[in-house]
Amino acid sequence: MKKQLIELRVNGESFELAVEPQKTLLEVVREDLGLTGAKEACGTGECGACTVLIDGKPILSCLTLAIEAQGKKITTIEGLAKNGDLHPLQKAFIRYGAIQCGYCTSGMILNAKSILDENPKPSRDEILKGLEGNLCRCTGYNKILEAVMAASTGED
Amino acid sequence: MEELSYVGKSVPRKDGVEKATGRALYTVDMVLPGMLWGKILRSPYPHARILNIDTSRAERLPGVKAVVIGKDTLGIKHGFVETPRYPPDQYLLAMDRVRYIGEEVAAVAAIDEYVAEEALNLIQVDYEELPAVFDPEEAMKPEAPEIHPSHPKVKEPYKNIGGKTESGWGNVEKGFDKSYLVREDRFEGQLRTHCYMEPQATLASFDLSGKLNVWTSSQGPFIKRAKLATTLGLPFSNVRVLKAYVGGAYGGKIDLFSHEFCASLLSIKVQRPVKIVCTREEVFESARHGQPILVELKTGVKKDGTLVAQQVRVINNSGAYRGSGVVVIFLCWGFVMLCYRIPNLKYEGYSVYTNNPVRAPQRGHGAPNLRFAVESQMDTIAEELGIHPVEIRLKNARQKGDILPNEDSVRNCGLVECIERAAEATRFKEIYGKRKSQEGQRIRRGLGMGVSSYFSGSLIYPNTSAAIVKLNDDGTVSLLTGALDIGQGAETILCQIVAEELGVSMDDIRVVAADTETTPVDIGAWISGGAYVSGNAVKMAASDARRQLFEVAAQKLEANPEDLIAKNREISVKGIPGRSISFTQAVAASITKRRGNPIIGQGHFRTMKDIPAHPSLATTKGRWSDNYAFDAQVAEVEVDMETGQVKLVKATTAHDCGFPINPLLVEGQIDGQVSMAQGHALWEEVLMKKGKTLTTSFLDYKIPCAKDLVESHYIDVITERYEKDTPYRTKEVGEGYVSGMVAAIANAVYDATGVRVKTFPILPEKILMGLKEKRNKPR
Repeated sequence: MKKQLIELRVNGESFELAVEPQKTLLEVVREDLGLTGAKEACGTGECGACTVLIDGKPILSCLTLAIEAQGKKITTIEGLAKNGDLHPLQKAFIRYGAIQCGYCTSGMILNAKSILDENPKPSRDEILKGLEGNLCRCTGYNKILEAVMAASTGED
Repeated sequence: MEELSYVGKSVPRKDGVEKATGRALYTVDMVLPGMLWGKILRSPYPHARILNIDTSRAERLPGVKAVVIGKDTLGIKHGFVETPRYPPDQYLLAMDRVRYIGEEVAAVAAIDEYVAEEALNLIQVDYEELPAVFDPEEAMKPEAPEIHPSHPKVKEPYKNIGGKTESGWGNVEKGFDKSYLVREDRFEGQLRTHCYMEPQATLASFDLSGKLNVWTSSQGPFIKRAKLATTLGLPFSNVRVLKAYVGGAYGGKIDLFSHEFCASLLSIKVQRPVKIVCTREEVFESARHGQPILVELKTGVKKDGTLVAQQVRVINNSGAYRGSGVVVIFLCWGFVMLCYRIPNLKYEGYSVYTNNPVRAPQRGHGAPNLRFAVESQMDTIAEELGIHPVEIRLKNARQKGDILPNEDSVRNCGLVECIERAAEATRFKEIYGKRKSQEGQRIRRGLGMGVSSYFSGSLIYPNTSAAIVKLNDDGTVSLLTGALDIGQGAETILCQIVAEELGVSMDDIRVVAADTETTPVDIGAWISGGAYVSGNAVKMAASDARRQLFEVAAQKLEANPEDLIAKNREISVKGIPGRSISFTQAVAASITKRRGNPIIGQGHFRTMKDIPAHPSLATTKGRWSDNYAFDAQVAEVEVDMETGQVKLVKATTAHDCGFPINPLLVEGQIDGQVSMAQGHALWEEVLMKKGKTLTTSFLDYKIPCAKDLVESHYIDVITERYEKDTPYRTKEVGEGYVSGMVAAIANAVYDATGVRVKTFPILPEKILMGLKEKRNKPR
């Protein structure tokens, strides 16, 4: 299909891109912008590995067309650390052993961020409910829960 | 004993920052200039003769750069096992016949995935369908279609036998005669799958010097190199397999696979990089899943519960080629004989060809199914004899110092302590068997125990791990290791060892890993020997580097090397503060005084050093492993008596892993295995119908999600320790702890409901059926 010129605001920067209208946001951030932190594990919206934030809300970028994301604030995992300083969730994930293979980590952290942004003191069950759509096969989620709990108490 | 600073500590992952920031590059992320995309055409039939393949229309499609089929290969077969008894049996692209739905028939390289996909539709393959068989017991019957007519097989009265293991000792018939109670049960495992989040993916780039460079999502580069080189007809040294981060494997990424071969072959053909990433659907439909195992178990015991004799018959549905099927029937023997003392044993295991996709190891490789069978029956026997489940396990448990029938020693077995401590921590003796008191309640609680044991490294190609520890001018250290971190934390624990031996911080160590060209050989992350074998190789290399540093420093400081200590990149004389030199100075001195020697430490390690080879897969004769991990696990479940739903509430793992090099990583391994056990025991199953996979997505194949989280408790039973300058013994923690837990879950369900489910997974309908049967025949 004929390419369209679009502008995307990703991690605070604006990018002008010519993309085919059927291209997903995941394809565009990975292939056109080189932001490969968002991962494809299923391509059909079942696993959450492709999660990015649009205007602060987690979305499945494998099911979102890039052209739909115009004019919105897109945050990928690469945009989370500020001036080389890791986000408290990133630090907590490392400290609490919440990362093993790391393939689900980007989506997991971004989704956790949206949970904490909406509700800074979530309960254990609220965190687990919130992360339900992000599959992890390595950790059993135990250390992920600990990490999000720690970050929610302001541990940095 | 000297206090340790890094080993034994919960040090955060070395690769944590890269992974937490999305900077870690996995094979799926790799891109090279001029890269093409590959796609694979697969058989739609479970068994068919290939009459003709016409690729001409695909080749003419604009954007298609190459098409390869079986006749473009050297026609070299390969196998997970390649021995005289079990010669390779699988082509990487089908030649004249396909034997399962999904078998690779052709591959295309094109400018993008869409063109490649379209090209597949233009390849015309003429098939002649052949009769197929899917069930292993059907396949064993004389009237079953022959899946490998011209291939040497094990001579058996049964058909389609790809492999057989026979072993035993004593006389089981006499043993059963002498037994007070003899029970016979049959347990059926299901087909389950790994669900690594990163799909199978490969990028191959053949360069003009004649070298093939390959990034692939794997469990170790050296076995991939060996098999790629062999099947492509290249010298080993012309194939370089390099590190990329790996998004999970769990046993599913060991062997050479067709997509890796095809990407390489296409790259050689077109002299451009070729990348193949399988879709999730492809992974479900045609990648290798775990081993579904049937266990027929006959056990005789004395009145007091002491085991007298055990007869075990295992049937494995290996799929269309051997895959790891002939290994799993050997391993199942091991998983019978490790945990309990069995005076008389007769074991036979069959690996049976069927027209299903090929199977791979999956975390535990046979142990979960085997322990499910043995531990379930153990509880039944205990109940029939009126003995407590904990008592019957303690009575029969493997003891420290036992010599196994294959002459391996379990010199450091902590199984008894595992059982006792797991029971104590869960108040097992008080809580177990309270079903009657819950009569009438909708939600009932139950608990169950399972024990298991797992080997820690064995002799399989490449049989060795080596390592290099280099000192840098600035006093930092570089570790060169062939070990591949697949999430288990290999690089982290290896750095802890270097840090401990050299007195440098974790941040002072740079790692170059898993590159067949630049790093020393390594056994790979699939034989449960990383902590023991690769760890000791690294320890030796670091200790060699320290010895060299101390030699130089001793001269400078006018002291004996034995009186020196290394800490914070400095070498000082014990007890004399201030008398020290930095690593930087020592390296400079070494270069000046020792003819340019920049200090490079080397190490290598092999398990069972004097043993020539792996034990016989046919007879089990020969030594198997230096160290065996043991565990006792307790599951606490809640069962909804109206719906049959089971909730795994709490998991307790008491385990003897020797000693944990990194407790945080060990906990992570346990949690992951508990979670996998939960899915395995309660709901996961790859459903197939006539060779066709029905569960092709995460919606059809449910794995545990965050809401299914299980409270996980750990009890370390320490049986070994780490000391500087001597090789240490430790055990595996990566795959043995699925097994005790699946068994514990089954036993806990029984404790809650009185229903003994002998087929996995324990679906709600099976519990409801069991409850109905119980109601219909009241005692």
